[in-house]
Amino acid sequence: MEAIWTWIGESELAFQIGATWWFPLLESIHVVAICLLVGAICMADLRLLGWMGKRYDLHQFVDELTPWAWGAFVPAVVTGLGLFISRPAAYAANPAFQVKFVLLLLAGANVFYFHRYVYAIPAEGIAAEGITAKGKERLAAGFSIVLWAGVILAGRWVGHIN
Amino acid sequence: MSWREIAAEEIGGSALRETVLYLLMNVPGLPPIAQAIHIAAVAVVMGSAFFVGLRQLGLAVGSQDPNEVISRLMPFMWWSLPVLVVSGVLFVIARPDRYFFNPIVDIKVICIGVVVVSALVIHAPTRNHSDFWTRSRLHRTGSVVASACLILALLGIILAGRWIAYVDYIYW
Repeated sequence: MEAIWTWIGESELAFQIGATWWFPLLESIHVVAICLLVGAICMADLRLLGWMGKRYDLHQFVDELTPWAWGAFVPAVVTGLGLFISRPAAYAANPAFQVKFVLLLLAGANVFYFHRYVYAIPAEGIAAEGITAKGKERLAAGFSIVLWAGVILAGRWVGHIN
Repeated sequence: MSWREIAAEEIGGSALRETVLYLLMNVPGLPPIAQAIHIAAVAVVMGSAFFVGLRQLGLAVGSQDPNEVISRLMPFMWWSLPVLVVSGVLFVIARPDRYFFNPIVDIKVICIGVVVVSALVIHAPTRNHSDFWTRSRLHRTGSVVASACLILALLGIILAGRWIAYVDYIYW
């Protein structure tokens, strides 16, 4: 792995990002994307937990936020990769980055679990249960908030440990 | 002497700065903890304000009542704002020269002002009139203008926040 990180880190692209205004630009876009991503996800989670927006239909509420979450996730990943390749070996060895990566994987698994096993229930089934989310949905929403808060906090510590 | 020099000198020689520096250097993990709290507050402020603005612009959560979205999300922003300010001011007090002589800080302060004013303009009328921004075409236009200002200023804050460190790295 070390050889791969060294090869990427010594590439022209890595140099251009790390040594020019590309780094703060990518970092800025990364922060905007993360704010939109976490904002959309947490709004949906709070609705699933029944802590906000209970007057709105559960599925419509979540469905309207999902495109924003995905739309923000893509630039967040692209800019995150851009930042990573500027110093891949240093980031890969950074404990805060490792924690952030694990939390991202857990958050991704939680999203997969939610959409595959919880949210994929036909709309009629949910409607029949009323507007309050069921236990599994609330559990996934609670995990989601904790995991994404962890991703943000770990992300900040990456810079500090560097 | 300019106001920057006066402010930097006043803060630089104050007991408050000594206290803050002592805490930042002696309390284990305090700098990253304060920065982590700051970035968490940034996410809450930005996330809530972005979606208020995007709803008023008709770009997001179209099925939700624009006035209700304001009254639901704006408190998140107002409660996080003091956390944001306190956790940010800690570092300004610790290193006043870095911030008072950095030109990007001026842009960030202006953007913060625009965010607070436009957020007040959007939120305040709905406290007494729950249908305020949907009453007429004029009201809707007003909410679009205030929301555009809010979103642009939020983007300005984020960009300026990143570039403060970058300019600092280049010039100091």
